[in-house]
Amino acid sequence: MTARAEPVVTSRRTGMLRRTFGSIAGRLVLASGAFALLVAVAFALLVATVDELRAANAREARAKEVTVSVLSLERLVADLDTGIRSYAIGRERQFLRPFQTARKEIPGQLSEFRRLTETDQSTRALAGRIDLEIRNYIEEFAIPLINIAADTPGAATGEDAIRADRERIGSIRRLFAELRQIVDAESDASAEAGSDRAREAVGIGLVGFILCATLVLLLGLYLVYSIGRPLRAAASGASRIAEGDFTQRLPERGPGEVLELSRTFNRMAEELAERQQKLEEQNTQLRTSEQLKSELVSIVSHEIRTPLASVLGFTSLLLQRDVTDDERRRYLEIIDQQGKRLAGLLDDFLAVQRIEEGRLELVHERIDMSALLREQVQLYEAQSSEHALSLSLPGSALLVEGDGDRLSQVIGNLLSNAIKYSPAGGSVQIEADRANGRVRLRVRDHGLGIPAGQHDRIFTKFFRGDAAQSGIAGSGLGLAFARAVVEAHGGTIGFRSAAGRGSTFWVELPAAGAR
Amino acid sequence: MRRIGAAVAVASLGVASLTVVGSSAATGPALIRITSTQLRSAYVDVGARGRSVGDMEVYTGALYNRRITGKSIGRTELVCTNTFSGVRSCRGSYNLPRGKLVVGGTLRYRELYQLAVLGGTGLYDNARGSLTVTRIDKSPRREFVVFRLTG
Repeated sequence: MTARAEPVVTSRRTGMLRRTFGSIAGRLVLASGAFALLVAVAFALLVATVDELRAANAREARAKEVTVSVLSLERLVADLDTGIRSYAIGRERQFLRPFQTARKEIPGQLSEFRRLTETDQSTRALAGRIDLEIRNYIEEFAIPLINIAADTPGAATGEDAIRADRERIGSIRRLFAELRQIVDAESDASAEAGSDRAREAVGIGLVGFILCATLVLLLGLYLVYSIGRPLRAAASGASRIAEGDFTQRLPERGPGEVLELSRTFNRMAEELAERQQKLEEQNTQLRTSEQLKSELVSIVSHEIRTPLASVLGFTSLLLQRDVTDDERRRYLEIIDQQGKRLAGLLDDFLAVQRIEEGRLELVHERIDMSALLREQVQLYEAQSSEHALSLSLPGSALLVEGDGDRLSQVIGNLLSNAIKYSPAGGSVQIEADRANGRVRLRVRDHGLGIPAGQHDRIFTKFFRGDAAQSGIAGSGLGLAFARAVVEAHGGTIGFRSAAGRGSTFWVELPAAGAR
Repeated sequence: MRRIGAAVAVASLGVASLTVVGSSAATGPALIRITSTQLRSAYVDVGARGRSVGDMEVYTGALYNRRITGKSIGRTELVCTNTFSGVRSCRGSYNLPRGKLVVGGTLRYRELYQLAVLGGTGLYDNARGSLTVTRIDKSPRREFVVFRLTG
């Protein structure tokens, strides 16, 4: 389990690191951290160097203090020597004053001298020897010599006394010289070390400054490259999109936020392009719809005005004139016929309205399509003497489940169209059969046909093609209505047509019991 | 010479009554600081009566290193022969715990004099250097004795 989990953990870590340091924010944090670390290291080195410099200065100052103390002690030792030698020669107490004064001062000076030299092992040991030599000089030589000078002056001034004095003083002075040499060496070393530390501090400061400046410069260049350029590109792209160029895209590369910005920008551009396309399509549809509506208004006006004019004209005639019973009857029949025509138009409009609003209500009952076809063929056969309608039906009933009135309207529309769009007359074949659980019917005419360019709009509401210009009456709602009704019954409707060679419209409906 | 440095170093660690300073090298110098108290002295009048050339003086004393112990750590013997003009030619030995130091030379005053270290025995075999004696007290006669051994 553990062995399997490791790659997942590693992958998660890698992903987390990529997310963290793949973004500008992460990289800025990383760069800031590196900058802070660099500054901290530079400052730490600088502080350490300054501390060493301070220590070197302290050592040098101590060396100077030791030197001053040594010089003071040397002076006091010289006073001791001068005092006893003067006294040995002159044997007057006043000559001892330098000795006495020096002897009083020496303990304090030695104490200070020992304090200054105790921090260093080499000077501490040497200072101890100097201390001992001076005390011995006083106790073992100077004081005895004063006593000897008092009773045996010759002994105090003899060669042996002078030599012994020189030897002791010489010994002390050699120790002083040795100590001064050590102190001077330390002082020189401290001064040199201080100078070195100062140079190092300047060097560290200079290198730190150069590194910091370089890092800041690199960071600035990085920001310009990773943020400035993409932002300029995004602004330029947005400007072009605002001008209507929806093909504008940004390169999808760069650190996290820039990549996200580029992707979002491109998505926005794509969506804007799609919306623009949809708007243009809708606009086209609206224009088409407006055109169709204008045509409709024209059609409807014409379709309504014609029967209405007949109704009004014959009504006025009946009211204003005395007509015979035959004439009245004929006029009333015309008025009735035109009134029904108006009512039919209104029914079509209402039906289309209901279809558009999704309120088309169907009655479900078992219907024999053969019977409906016979009724409609008889009805339309009577309306036109120039068209020969032939009906071909199978021997058995063509039962479907559906709304008989609506399906009758569909058949009527198809027959009406076949007759209307065959202005020169001719045959209209109506066939129906049942196959594969579906009832199929076809209405074929040999009339004007439909140009190929109008095929895709033939079921569109109010579309009438070239019919209006040809003076063929109609509302452009028949086929739209027919398709809505057929599809509401679970069927399909279609056609084959060619300009000048007539049309064949077909309808397929699920046979009753086949669903 | 090496033996002297080593001997002085060993002596300084025990009650050998030595004060050694600066034996930094194997042949380096050493300093022995002790005191002596004269025990007896004799004057041998040779030749003309009274102080004259050829008279001899003999001294003996006890040696101390009071920094370490109050007891005597050795004996000293000094024999001087009067020469001319009050100068004495002296020979002597200092018997220390780990060997003898033999000194010799001339002196005018016994209050403060220097003699050469001529040699030694034991740890001080073949020693060289100087002896400085400074009187501290008259009665009993006490002296500071300082040997500066050079090697």
